[in-house]
Amino acid sequence: MPKLARFRAKHNATGSVPAAAPAAHASSTSFDSSCSILHVDMDAFFVSVELLAHPELRGRPVVVGGQPDQRGVVSAASYEARQYGIHSAMPLRTAGRLCPHAVFLDGHHDLYAEWSDRIAALLAKYSPVVEMVSIDEAYLDLAGTQRLHGPPLAAAHELLSETWETTHLPCSAGLARTRLVAKVASDQAKPRGLLWVPAGSEAAFLAGLGVRKIPGIGKVTEAALKSLGIETVRQLAQVSQEKLEEVFGQWGTALYRKARGEDSYEFLVDAEPKSISNNHTFGYDTDDRAALAATLSHLCQKAAKRLREAGLDARTLTLTIRYAGFHTTTRSKTLAEPTDLDAAILGAIQQLFAQHWDQRRKIRLLGVELSSLSHGAKQLDLLDGSRREKLERLTRATDRLRDRFGFSKVQFGGSLRSDESE
Amino acid sequence: MEFSVKKFDLLEELSLTQGVVERKTTIPILSNLLCEAKGNRLTITATDLELSIRTGCEAKVKKEGSGTIPAKKLLELVRLLPEEEIRFKLLENHWVEIVCDRKKYKMVGMSKDNFPALPAFPHPLVTIPAKVLSSLIARTQFAISMEESRYTLNGGLLILKPDLLAMVATDGHRLALVETDHKLAGLNSEARVLVPKKAMVEVQRLAANAGEDAQIEFARDDNHLFFQVGPRLLISRMLTGQFPNYEAVLPRENKKTVVLERNELNDAVRRVSQLADQRSHVVKFAVATDGVEISASSPEYGEAKETIDKEYKGDPLSIGFNAQYLLDFLSAAAEGPISIELKDEQSAGQMRPLADDQYRYRYVIMPMRI
Repeated sequence: MPKLARFRAKHNATGSVPAAAPAAHASSTSFDSSCSILHVDMDAFFVSVELLAHPELRGRPVVVGGQPDQRGVVSAASYEARQYGIHSAMPLRTAGRLCPHAVFLDGHHDLYAEWSDRIAALLAKYSPVVEMVSIDEAYLDLAGTQRLHGPPLAAAHELLSETWETTHLPCSAGLARTRLVAKVASDQAKPRGLLWVPAGSEAAFLAGLGVRKIPGIGKVTEAALKSLGIETVRQLAQVSQEKLEEVFGQWGTALYRKARGEDSYEFLVDAEPKSISNNHTFGYDTDDRAALAATLSHLCQKAAKRLREAGLDARTLTLTIRYAGFHTTTRSKTLAEPTDLDAAILGAIQQLFAQHWDQRRKIRLLGVELSSLSHGAKQLDLLDGSRREKLERLTRATDRLRDRFGFSKVQFGGSLRSDESE
Repeated sequence: MEFSVKKFDLLEELSLTQGVVERKTTIPILSNLLCEAKGNRLTITATDLELSIRTGCEAKVKKEGSGTIPAKKLLELVRLLPEEEIRFKLLENHWVEIVCDRKKYKMVGMSKDNFPALPAFPHPLVTIPAKVLSSLIARTQFAISMEESRYTLNGGLLILKPDLLAMVATDGHRLALVETDHKLAGLNSEARVLVPKKAMVEVQRLAANAGEDAQIEFARDDNHLFFQVGPRLLISRMLTGQFPNYEAVLPRENKKTVVLERNELNDAVRRVSQLADQRSHVVKFAVATDGVEISASSPEYGEAKETIDKEYKGDPLSIGFNAQYLLDFLSAAAEGPISIELKDEQSAGQMRPLADDQYRYRYVIMPMRI
């Protein structure tokens, strides 16, 4: 079974948690037990984790993702840095221009994943229904936990306090009847806040917000709505369902519901990942065969380890080659049988690379994706059973060493020449 | 070239070439048939460079010569024509005129000079009854690997000994081995040839078409295998490479034996596998003193359990197999009792039909780790 850790979600608590403030438009103060969905979102998670190691940087603009003269994008920015207009996914160079005196730190994803797992474990104490939707975000359903933790609002408050006390990582949360409203509420509560939207007051709570605040509405929909003269959720809620469907088709139906705080998500607590992928962007475009081979080896080992941690086997392997100039080639291979062994995955990926790399061109990014994931019964081998068994033993031993001493301590020889690997 | 043939005769021969003509080919001439009219005979040749067939039928030849005609289109057209005489005539620019009664067609051919030459039939090595070879193929063919990267497993190994014929195929998960006692006149030593799967399928087709008592003349040169079945000749490129040492993986210590009727077992596995996991197809065999329990479960669809009462004296054992692998064997095996011989849940199991008097047939199958 995939571990909870596979879907890392975060929830954060703030110091001595500010008392939860019900949304201003609460029409009723009696707590409705249907209002039990809690969305927990870490505040500037990567930055917060870095600050644990560098407390002296607190209060300064901090950017995680790399150095301002490097290629790549901002992974996270502290609230101080955000005041300069820096945000996630912005090129590092742009960030460096906007705030030259900011502190730029390289990312440490293994470390973030570790903290994420710790927080996931903490969340699991508050409800059996926890869905980690990303490394720093989770939904909980607190329904039915009343006798253990008290009413949802009290439980949420306690959860945030405990998170802060045990991890010193700040987080915010939203409590509402639906996942959509809970998510919007946690965003409004940031930083280090808890916002409760009582049942019945969803529409009023959303009305004043810009449409972009609704999860799922991005640049494109925003622009389309604007051309219809719609900029706030209130305006959106006034448009008839027929009209929205006429313009947006099925998406119009969804928009109609979203404007009223409704969503159709269900918790996917046991969901398995559909694919596992690892990418690497080179600092400089390269056609150095050794460096490319080493990176492929590293990516395969990383992805295969994650596959094994999730207790899965993969049958389809996909190689992504992005050349300088962003032309991208993806090629897949389906194995005769699923595998979770580094050697089998690497072998197939190397073959794809040999077949499809246009050697006249330099490479910017390599990526490895494992899909057609399955778990369960495994066919044993008749002809080279003992070889496979040895490989399996080797892999298990390697994993144990990596768990103890860190991923990079045990590597295939092939990845050692990489100057690029982490 | 100008000749006429009976529709019935031509259609039969054209049908036999269809397994050889490539549907998707980058070499256009390979989707054509070479037609040669000589004496009182039409000879038809098809090839995909790996496998070639040369066949033919009686014809009234008005003018000897040869030409090529698109294979698929010709078959489709001939199939639709009435049961009458069909006349062929080579026109200029490689076109071929086809006339049947008052119906007239012209098809675009290609120069016969581009058609690949076939190797010449060497001196035959042995003569094998078509029925015997066909039986060997039927009992092993399904175990051939479809994985192109394991190309030495993409065919069956035919073993010829002075008094024995055998064939073995494996895909690395299961292995089918069949032997039969048969005197091969003129053979002094053992010969082993790796026959590609596609050739095995075509040999079977030719054997089925040739009737009960037909004989196959088998020959080989350095690169090719030749199967002469009556007037029809199949030529296959030989698979090169080392077939795995299959003798080493044949189980020797499988002492936990239970005997079940083929039909009973086949039906049970078919039913139970309906509710097997959709990806792994695993079914579980629990063998105990009171019988054999066959079970499967799928998170999406549910679970199945069937018990077959049977005497069994050994230690109880629970083992998982891919249902499809079992069914492949059971449909090839002769009716009657099947002996299932096991060692433990990690080791290969063996199955043998006990009522097959002419063929010694064993099927080795690796379990699945549940």
